[in-house]
Amino acid sequence: MALSTTVSQRKLIKRKAPRGFLKRVFKQRKPHLRLETNSDLLVHLNCLLLVHRLAEEARTNACENKCGVIKKEHVLAAAKVILKKSRG
Amino acid sequence: MADSYSRDSEPTTRTLLRRVLDTADPRTPRRPRSARTDVQRALLQTPSSRRLRSQTKMTARHCSHRARSIDRLAHVQASGHLEEQTPRTLLKNILLTAPESSILMPESVVKPVPAPQVVQASRQESGRGSLELQLPELEPPTTLAPGLLALGRRKQRLRLSVFQQGVDLGLPPSQEPHGNADASSLTSSLNLTFATPLQPQSVKRPGLARRPPTRRAVDVGTFLQDLRDTSLALAPPDTVLEDTQPFSQPLVGRSPSVHHSLPCPSHSGAKDVERAASRRTWSSGLGLQNNGAGKPAPFLAGKVEEVGALAMGFPNISSNISGEDVIEPLQNGVGEEAEERMEESLREVEKAAEAQGSARAEEPEGHIEVTEAEGSWGAVEAKEPEGSSGDEDTSGRTASPELASSTPEFLRARRLQFLETAPPPSTAVLPSEPPEPLSARLPPKPRIPGSRPRQDPYKTGLNHYAKLFSFYAKMPMEKKAVEMVEKCLDKYFQHLCDDLEVFAAHAGRKTVRPEDLELLMRRQGLVTDQVSLHVLVERHLPLEYRQQLIPCAFSGNTVFPAQ
Repeated sequence: MALSTTVSQRKLIKRKAPRGFLKRVFKQRKPHLRLETNSDLLVHLNCLLLVHRLAEEARTNACENKCGVIKKEHVLAAAKVILKKSRG
Repeated sequence: MADSYSRDSEPTTRTLLRRVLDTADPRTPRRPRSARTDVQRALLQTPSSRRLRSQTKMTARHCSHRARSIDRLAHVQASGHLEEQTPRTLLKNILLTAPESSILMPESVVKPVPAPQVVQASRQESGRGSLELQLPELEPPTTLAPGLLALGRRKQRLRLSVFQQGVDLGLPPSQEPHGNADASSLTSSLNLTFATPLQPQSVKRPGLARRPPTRRAVDVGTFLQDLRDTSLALAPPDTVLEDTQPFSQPLVGRSPSVHHSLPCPSHSGAKDVERAASRRTWSSGLGLQNNGAGKPAPFLAGKVEEVGALAMGFPNISSNISGEDVIEPLQNGVGEEAEERMEESLREVEKAAEAQGSARAEEPEGHIEVTEAEGSWGAVEAKEPEGSSGDEDTSGRTASPELASSTPEFLRARRLQFLETAPPPSTAVLPSEPPEPLSARLPPKPRIPGSRPRQDPYKTGLNHYAKLFSFYAKMPMEKKAVEMVEKCLDKYFQHLCDDLEVFAAHAGRKTVRPEDLELLMRRQGLVTDQVSLHVLVERHLPLEYRQQLIPCAFSGNTVFPAQ
């Protein structure tokens, strides 16, 4: 993987997919459906990509406002754009 | 070297080795370079060449080449040889005795029979490193049947034979195994290309036979150690979670316990457990209970009346909370008063607890007090998200986050430890939690299926992605922003589940499969004709998941994962 696990934020980013969590969420929302084993990982991949896009967009927004900190408004605006785009 | 022998069509290890052996000088270092060795060399080479090149007609060329190579290699052989049973001679034996034809599968069991004969012969000659080689040479090519089984057997017997030779020759046996090891390493490398010999375990290799047990012992030891380590690591959470109360709120409960442990270092793990247990019982009743407040109050009456008053006051506030549907003022009221009272109660309790220190009677009560207060706050925030998720009221949610987030922030400013308990992103509608806990407080409360586990593990999972968000952003983020991210993820999960349901139904299935996910990502524009799903998997997922998702060919003509 391109990104390293040790971050400058002194935190170790977990690379593990919360498969139990994803499966449980899906089960709770759609109890009549079943989730296959590997599609679990693809859902995680999807979330990763979404978070990636959100982060990029939020960072862009914050930089445009010349803020050194990502604020709620930046995230909100970014979410609007991304969720709209990823509606499919 | 002018290796245009082309004795075999395929460039196998066998042919390469043969080539090497043929071209190299099969002299042993011990033997002085004498006419005898020269003779034997010539003898060695000619029969081998004769045998090998029976198909080709390059004999003349080879002989001349040999002469040249002998001179050339005369100096090369000086060092590096071990004993008289040089790897070279052993290899030569193997090549001579090995079957010429295809080496893929052992064809019959007849091979072991001729093998020993060859081995015996080769043993003798390799001992002298000389003339005797020719004897087996003449026989084996015809008698030997192709087979790896034989080869494997021969290899091992060779080693034994080498050992015996050494013994016969009076050499110290200690040297033999070394020679064996080196030779066997070479031969083993040879054998690797062939099919695994069906060598029975009856092979006499004491050194190698000893290896597996030691390996197993180490593994068990490390395994046990790992077990111990993991059990140690797992012990604390288990103790906290073993209580099966529905409103145990391990996350929320744990952080206050952590919080308490900081100012009150005298607390022990047992106390934590007890505290947690007591906390749960109290926090369950949280919603209202003046009774609940009444109970701790008298307990503390002797010690800290103020705390009791505060505790009483707090449940009163929480009783207001049970009025529900009045989100904003509720939150304001809860937030401000809760903060003040909680902080004061916390302070008081902490002081009291610290003052008493060893007295266990006070501490549990103090903790009960505080835990109740904190539990109430936790319960408040616990209820809020639950209600919100049930309500699906986005407007309410967007309005309330500011208020809710302000109060958690304020509290967090005072109590840093609370940061860990992912404060509810907002959504305040207090569901009918309070009445439930109230009714079920005395007996073990009937758990609402789906609502309790919805909360903490859900927040934990979202927290995981929120942390990833902050990592990808590479910029410091406000806590409000993190909550916003969690909300977005929540909405996103809804959309995701709906889409997957539609796709699966479209395919006439009730199971969501990876194809549905691929279609979803294609519609989202993540997967294009230029960027395939496998590329994305390769980029973003760790190796273990990649291996599960991307089919890859393995040995034995298998593909994993199977398609």
